[in-house]
Amino acid sequence: MAEPIDPAAYQQRLDRIGEIFDSMMTTVADLTGRRCPYKNRFDRCTAQFGCRNQRKPEDPSQLKVCGGDDKLDYRSAWETT
Amino acid sequence: MPELTDIANEFIRGEIEEFIERPEERDRLIGLFVAAKPDQQDIAAALVDGDDDVVDRLTQAALGGGTPALEVMDDGLIAGMAIVGVKFRENFIYVPEVLACARAMKAGMAHIEPILSASGIEPYGTVVMGTVKGDLHDIGKNLCIMMLRGSGFEVIDLGVDTSADDFIDAVEEHKPSVLGMSALLTTTMPNMGKTIDAFIDADLRDVVKIMVGGAPVTQEFADDMGADGYGKDAMACVALAKELIGVTARG
Repeated sequence: MAEPIDPAAYQQRLDRIGEIFDSMMTTVADLTGRRCPYKNRFDRCTAQFGCRNQRKPEDPSQLKVCGGDDKLDYRSAWETT
Repeated sequence: MPELTDIANEFIRGEIEEFIERPEERDRLIGLFVAAKPDQQDIAAALVDGDDDVVDRLTQAALGGGTPALEVMDDGLIAGMAIVGVKFRENFIYVPEVLACARAMKAGMAHIEPILSASGIEPYGTVVMGTVKGDLHDIGKNLCIMMLRGSGFEVIDLGVDTSADDFIDAVEEHKPSVLGMSALLTTTMPNMGKTIDAFIDADLRDVVKIMVGGAPVTQEFADDMGADGYGKDAMACVALAKELIGVTARG
């Protein structure tokens, strides 16, 4: 039987997670103005929808390559139908 | 004074060496990981790598081996997420990687939840979340889900392109305190109102609080369609969910 968890101690951990996540949201707010949030660190597109900036990858099993330059509002390239 | 080379896990050593540049953060993380058991370092490494399968397996093994749940949270899951937070802040990784790490954290927390429940600690409430019909944009919803789970809510994720019937079925099945709807497009935003109308038609509007959000959504639009609340971002989403169900702090 696992050791019971003290509610106050658990709340402290939630608060710590909250601090980390709140900081992440500040970064999200900053990043979304200059980089598409669907673009991963390898500049591959993780979106489940079509986007005119998507380029076919050399290996079809890989995610599509993002061809956007992030200089314009990337959202106008997202396909809506 | 603990040194980087005192950390047993090579991956964690490499992450701190390569990505943690601020001296105070480096020292804090080195101290934390030097004090952590090797199996907890392994959990943190898998989380930083976004590998939910490995976090799942290692967390289960650690708890089964008698490691206290709070130690797994401190030295495995939260310690790993602290590295992720710095890497994200410094633009070494981006939102998709953060979401993968959050999924890995959820995989670990899934093994801690039964212990929480046995200790009399229940989630603040259940939230059903989905992007409305016709809309495939999920980043905003996924960030809200990450924040809600991190705050102590149970979240049922219905994914994207969610019909009114799917929302209704989920509410009947999971009996959540709150339903959250997201839309990114002005063309799909009216489906939020249609979904609320469907809840009224099904005589279910009073059984759940409904919150809405998404780039084109405004407080005025939320009020007009009859939602209980509007959150402008993921942090507001958590605050709103707590407000809607009257959450008070534990402890």
